[in-house]
Amino acid sequence: MATLEELQARITRLEDIKQIEKLQRIYGYYLDYNEYQKVVDLFSDTADSVEIADYGVYKGKKGVERFYLELLGGKPPRVGELSIGMIMQGVVDLDHNGKMAKGRWYCMMIEAKPTLSRHEGELKQLWGNGIYENEYVKENGKWLFKKVFFFLNFRTPYEAGWLKVPVVGQHGPSTQVPPDAPPTFYYPYPSGIHLQPHYKHPITGK
Amino acid sequence: MNLEELEKRVTLMEDIQEIENLQRRYAYYFDLQRWQDIVDLFSDNAESVEIVDHGLFKGKEGVKKMYWDWIGQGGKSFRETWVQFIIMQIGGVVDVAPDGKTAWGRWQTWLCEAKPFGAYPRQEWLHGYYENKYVKENGKWLFSKLHWNNTFCSPFEDGWLNTPLMGLMNYHPTVKPDAPPSAFHPYPSGYHLPYHYKHPITGE
Repeated sequence: MATLEELQARITRLEDIKQIEKLQRIYGYYLDYNEYQKVVDLFSDTADSVEIADYGVYKGKKGVERFYLELLGGKPPRVGELSIGMIMQGVVDLDHNGKMAKGRWYCMMIEAKPTLSRHEGELKQLWGNGIYENEYVKENGKWLFKKVFFFLNFRTPYEAGWLKVPVVGQHGPSTQVPPDAPPTFYYPYPSGIHLQPHYKHPITGK
Repeated sequence: MNLEELEKRVTLMEDIQEIENLQRRYAYYFDLQRWQDIVDLFSDNAESVEIVDHGLFKGKEGVKKMYWDWIGQGGKSFRETWVQFIIMQIGGVVDVAPDGKTAWGRWQTWLCEAKPFGAYPRQEWLHGYYENKYVKENGKWLFSKLHWNNTFCSPFEDGWLNTPLMGLMNYHPTVKPDAPPSAFHPYPSGYHLPYHYKHPITGE
């Protein structure tokens, strides 16, 4: 029979996983509504980085602010612009001391965006899909993002589909709000290059 | 920490798990067109149910009107085999009140449907957000309020940009809501359905 202290440690780990799942989902809801300051406030002040698709790496909390507030939030969304991200199927793993965690998630996207550039051109309706491999840190009893990394699998016009047109609307790093480093892993469909998970095989340990 | 505190924390984890299962079971019953089973997921003291533009139905009586009389066609016949409601329940954010007796949940749904619309069978994509309330009675969680706010309901052939709303669904010849829809503002209105929760870090 476990001691009270051991049970406390076990329930704490379950609570931590639940809090991280909520953090990730709340992040998604804020992004859907273009609430970028609220997104930034979900990151630790000691955040490593944010890297989405081919925008490049934005480092530190300053980089997180530049990416969300200046690049994505630089102009209010146009009428009809739509950005829904359905964040699903989390696999969240805590490290042994319960201070850091990693999570892998699918994101299915329903969008209406201009694809020629971020702010101009005709709106297109798009399907998108990708994978998050994120890192979380516990500070003062609360879980925050340490790192957000999003691997874009496809973003395709509704009418075309991923087989015919795998990616539209990605034009590499911004020149107005440049990243701190180029993209580290941008290989959308059909590259055949996959984003490996943070976790080891649960049975074989490989 | 003593045993009572530990029990409270375990109960909270169990409550969240049960509420998540309740929400997901609701959707599977919807897919299976088991309308009475859906009604039975609501508390006898339910506040209300509101779905897309059908209007606001109050109390358990209203819940029956919505699912059994309206959507379930009064149970008088099984639907055609091609009618389909695939309702994917995604992104649950469930918060239980400190006393452990009530809870709130935000979810989003992505739907893949086929149903008669006007004179024709139609296939459509839908998206929307829930803000629901739950209540614990006799150790079991039930819906006390369900609100599904529709972003779009678009024909498969057109998509949301071309046809955000396939048409209105706010009329039934005999079943009438207690109040008009409270927040029916589909795409591209830019409407934001308020969150039940405060920002987890800033508390605002």
